[in-house]
Amino acid sequence: MHVDNLPAGGTAPPQTGTGPAARPPVVTARGVTKAYGRTRALTGVDLEVRAGEVLGLVGHNGAGKSTLMRVLAGLEACDTGTVLVHGRKASAGDFRSVRMAYQETSLCPDLTVAENMWVSSRHCLPRLRWRRAASDAVRRRLDEMFPGHGVSPRDRVEDLSLARRQMVEIARACLVDRLDLLILDEPTESLGPDAARSLYAYVRRLIGAGTAVLLISHRIREVLSVADRVAVLRDGAVTAERPAAGLGEPDVLELMGAHVAAPSSTGARTASAGTAARETVAELRGAIGPGLREVTLRVGKGEVVGLAGLAGQGQQEVLERLWRPVRRDTTVNVTRAYVPGDRQRSGVLPLWSVGDNLIVTALRGIARRGLRRPAEERAVVGDWVKRLAIRGGAEAGIIELSGGNQQKVIVARAFASPSGLVLLDDPFRGVDVHTKSDLYRLIREEAAKGRSIVWYSSENAEMAHCDRVYVFRAGRIVAELTGEEISEERIIAVSFNEDGGND
Amino acid sequence: MAHLLAPALPDRARMRRSAPAAVSAVALVAMLCVCSSLQPGVLTVEGLTLVLSATVPLVIAAQAQMTLMAVGDIDLGIGNFVGLVTVVSATLLVSSPLLGVLVLIGLVAAYAVLGLLIHLREVPALIATLGASFLWLGLGLFLLPTPGGTTPGWLASFGAWQPAGFPAPLLPILVVALVVYLLTARSAAGVRMRGLGSNAVALRRAGLRPLTSRVFAYATAGALGVLSGLVLASQTGGGDVSSASGYTLTTVAAVILGGGSFSGGTAVPWGAAIGGVTLGLVSVVLSLLDVRSDMQSAVQGVIVLAVLAGRVVVGKVLR
Repeated sequence: MHVDNLPAGGTAPPQTGTGPAARPPVVTARGVTKAYGRTRALTGVDLEVRAGEVLGLVGHNGAGKSTLMRVLAGLEACDTGTVLVHGRKASAGDFRSVRMAYQETSLCPDLTVAENMWVSSRHCLPRLRWRRAASDAVRRRLDEMFPGHGVSPRDRVEDLSLARRQMVEIARACLVDRLDLLILDEPTESLGPDAARSLYAYVRRLIGAGTAVLLISHRIREVLSVADRVAVLRDGAVTAERPAAGLGEPDVLELMGAHVAAPSSTGARTASAGTAARETVAELRGAIGPGLREVTLRVGKGEVVGLAGLAGQGQQEVLERLWRPVRRDTTVNVTRAYVPGDRQRSGVLPLWSVGDNLIVTALRGIARRGLRRPAEERAVVGDWVKRLAIRGGAEAGIIELSGGNQQKVIVARAFASPSGLVLLDDPFRGVDVHTKSDLYRLIREEAAKGRSIVWYSSENAEMAHCDRVYVFRAGRIVAELTGEEISEERIIAVSFNEDGGND
Repeated sequence: MAHLLAPALPDRARMRRSAPAAVSAVALVAMLCVCSSLQPGVLTVEGLTLVLSATVPLVIAAQAQMTLMAVGDIDLGIGNFVGLVTVVSATLLVSSPLLGVLVLIGLVAAYAVLGLLIHLREVPALIATLGASFLWLGLGLFLLPTPGGTTPGWLASFGAWQPAGFPAPLLPILVVALVVYLLTARSAAGVRMRGLGSNAVALRRAGLRPLTSRVFAYATAGALGVLSGLVLASQTGGGDVSSASGYTLTTVAAVILGGGSFSGGTAVPWGAAIGGVTLGLVSVVLSLLDVRSDMQSAVQGVIVLAVLAGRVVVGKVLR
């Protein structure tokens, strides 16, 4: 079995003493362009990934990151320009040592973990008894990368949580006889903080052994802490390449061309003063159930309530309870709309246009006597497309849009309906900063109109946009923060505070 | 905290997946009990042989359907295809055995070509197999306009084979299920087929050709269809192109009863066998219960719906 490119013992960095510039490039892109129809995804990319370094790649959604990754991984040919692997013009076979872990994973949900390993790493598995070999290899690799992962090779992928699926996907990408370049696409979006730390420790070992790693992430702070160099992709071209040392988050954002305004502490939360006086629209009184242990919370009219804490501590169960208040411990007095986080699986209707996707929830409210009114629908759709600057317009097919724009449509769908309570299930995972600030503004505007919003987010910084934040741990609320108390540092402190959860 | 986060999923998930087949098995046992209370002779070797023999071709056809449903397709031509095979075995296989064998091999190849066309032209399998079903029907009517003919001696003696000690029909049912299980659930080719039904994009990214998987699945289904037709001909002793037209939808029901899904990705050979036997037994029970023949179809439908409802309920409980 030769799937273990990384021996268990210590690995000495082979290029000790040589500067980063002297390391040989693994994959080089020169003047690469790529167009889909009239959309020019890449307008001329020059990029070099060198052995033994982590190159961070940042850029907005739609900047061309996904296309560039597919070209570098040899999945798509470029229109003009060249891609060199080890300095030679690459043919299909040369890309075998370039592996990519996809954000949305490229696993077959109905197959077991071991069978998925066969699909992607069959070249390195024996023809007979491959199942045993694949199981051993994936178990060993997962143990190395994510200690305490809790995945068995016999589990079917569809039964695993999102975080575990991501672990399997990354392990799958690393399971090859020779790994020259590992491309990680938003690897930590669904991983918890512990798993993310383990992953980056493993990445360090990989580059110590001379592998190159290309890291794509929206979490700029994370990129800066892991990467040796950072490349900024903007409008289909690399506009800047800097050493990560000495670079700060604001610098990178500036290079990306973002103008992210910090939420003004007075403007965003003017309403937080009168929380107690608000009319209650939804309430949980000591709710218990799978994943919930005596949760008591209330949501006032026009309030933005955040559910924070580490991933999987009961926040999604609260949303589920508010969406379907089947038990008597839950009261919801208004109609609800739900924005799912997993837009690929439960968000978009892929065959429909943007307009149809957007209007589907509001349809009933607009229709009269069971008949649709197309003119009014078009007006509403047009309004939202303009308001959120959805690229492509109402007639475009939803799957032609970039991820960020799809997410705008999903959020607009909820807000276009007349619902009084909007439930957000971590909807901004993997969305670029521009889109995020648009959507944050939208949430505040809609709250000001008297709508209530319950918002679960795995990104604690987002909670600063809430009036009130409940912090969860192990199915309980361990803290309620209001107004000025809400800060990333405070939320993290509370969610990790061991005493808080056991009282 | 880890023990709180670790959901007890896998075992429960495995239970949930085998639940449909378990519900069908319960229905199967219940029907056998009803039969034996009405006719005590049913539980003897001869009785079981009699009761089960009618289900054998259906179960083999259900395995063919299951193979195609594993890649996410559905076969609306299997009934007429099985009928055509009975016609070929009652005519050509008797008059010129070599030509007959070649024609049967050609039919398997035709299935592979059908899969190839479905994949390359991106036609829905539903439409293409429905179209093919008329082709099979037409060919069958051309070869043998009215039911009749005789099957070759070796086939007839297989149909009449009565070993002592165990019911003969169990053997083909179990052997075919085992072969299909090894092929679809244990082998690398099976992983490719199920992978195609599960996530074709992932398959392509890994450098595997979905075309190969689909053609292989269709060829397998064709071979199983031929086998089903031969067994049916051995039992009826003649050829009739419309003798198995009911199989088309019954096999789909058998796969669903056994835990398969329309969306593809899963292979349930044992489940399909149980579902097929269950459906085959329903008509036996109904005739033993003296249900009027004009009501039998309706009652059969109600029983199928009841078993499906049981599957849904069990699935809900195990969630």
